[in-house]
Amino acid sequence: MMNIANLGQFVIDGNEPGVIENVNLLVAGKADPITIINEGLLSGMNVVGEKFKSGEMFVPEVLMAARAMNAGMDIVKPLIADNDMPSLGTIVIGTVKGDLHDIGKNLVVMMLESAGFKVIDLGIDAKVEQFVAAVKENDADIIGMSAMLTTTMTYMQEVIKACEAEGLDVQYLVGGAPLSPGYSEKIGAIYAADASGAVDTAKKLVGDSVMKEVMFA
Amino acid sequence: MIIIGEKINGSIPVVKEAIEKRDAAFIADRAVMQTDAGAHFIDVCASTAPEYEIETLKWLMEVVQDATDTPLCIDSPNPRVIETVFKYANKPGMLNSISEEGDKCEVLLPLMAGNTWEVVGLTCDDRGIPNDVQTKVDITKIMVEKAAKYGITPDRIHIDPCVMALSTENNSLLNFAHEIREIKILYPTIHVTGAISNMSFGLPLRALLNKTAMTFAIQAGMDSAVMDPLNRDMMGTIFATYALLGQDKHCRKYSKAFRAGKIGSVVKK
Repeated sequence: MMNIANLGQFVIDGNEPGVIENVNLLVAGKADPITIINEGLLSGMNVVGEKFKSGEMFVPEVLMAARAMNAGMDIVKPLIADNDMPSLGTIVIGTVKGDLHDIGKNLVVMMLESAGFKVIDLGIDAKVEQFVAAVKENDADIIGMSAMLTTTMTYMQEVIKACEAEGLDVQYLVGGAPLSPGYSEKIGAIYAADASGAVDTAKKLVGDSVMKEVMFA
Repeated sequence: MIIIGEKINGSIPVVKEAIEKRDAAFIADRAVMQTDAGAHFIDVCASTAPEYEIETLKWLMEVVQDATDTPLCIDSPNPRVIETVFKYANKPGMLNSISEEGDKCEVLLPLMAGNTWEVVGLTCDDRGIPNDVQTKVDITKIMVEKAAKYGITPDRIHIDPCVMALSTENNSLLNFAHEIREIKILYPTIHVTGAISNMSFGLPLRALLNKTAMTFAIQAGMDSAVMDPLNRDMMGTIFATYALLGQDKHCRKYSKAFRAGKIGSVVKK
């Protein structure tokens, strides 16, 4: 019998066939699909996130690990009812209008998904209306915005203003080369310097909103 | 190799600080050092909020032009900003950049009619950066044909095929080399440029990858680069590559660069 904890190592190694084979074995052995995700796939990916942060692993390896994890996810997801699917929260993310850079944003998407967030990716050149509609449709907790240009980063403020005007209960996570913590704070958003920073910050943000719900319940 | 010196850009923290303090001596120093190291153009990019971009760029241009005779490379993602500050240049340099995004070509190419200004052309359009070689070549063709209407010949255009990261695209260098070759076949006198350092994003020992990538790119026909001319290792790689490719007769430039102390390790006297 395959040990769920060992599954994580296959994810860390980016061994996609290994992940597929062992998830299938676990499923055949009647292991709980949610345990497979949390204690196998996601815990492996957490190690990858830590090693990426500390400079022991690099982008291509993270991509490989994420692919391996997703291959495992594809097997177990159909076995879980939608609302039982574990999720830390929902994030709508996009590179803002006028900006077509997406390498960094894609990495953030992957890391967020790997950490257990549900991510709705609007892609590049994302406009106010798209952010607002996606937040409403998915009851999102966080909007993530990326920009590589000083000329496009100012669009983030327009998105935030529009969401506030709509009365959306959502928090803002921003990043990209021209952004700074100071500028982000000024527009009412929180800055993340890189992909693993984005995950840590997103976790804190949903943690905060859970606390708020408890406090004001 | 035509070198576009990249060290005066407001996205670099120390430069940002100098811009905020209007520290002209700091900027002038960077302009002179890049010129001495062999830059053919000095890139100036404000990277400030849009409301200050024009005044910042104007100031940077004045400081650099007071410090050196090296032509400017006026760098902004907003073609209208370039159009506005264009008149402050005291001689022809380079515009950075056009692409098929929005109306960049329509705003900037008319400025280049009847003079010797050069321009960087990025192979992207309103759909983003294409993933395939053919679309990049097609965009190059469109830009060259638009330029021709203003009497701008291909030798005044530096095509930047947008170097992608090796960490996310395993064939990024091979694709880049393929793009360089295809563009050069189509327009033998055109220049192909690029920011080689994008190649190493997300990987350790970036300098090693950058230098190796530069060698392959030069072999494929890249003859212009947006880079730091004070990077002695990279400059050494460029001189060595031309010598090894038989494009430096009797290795004279290589030897001369060594004697002038421009390449190799720094000897302390």
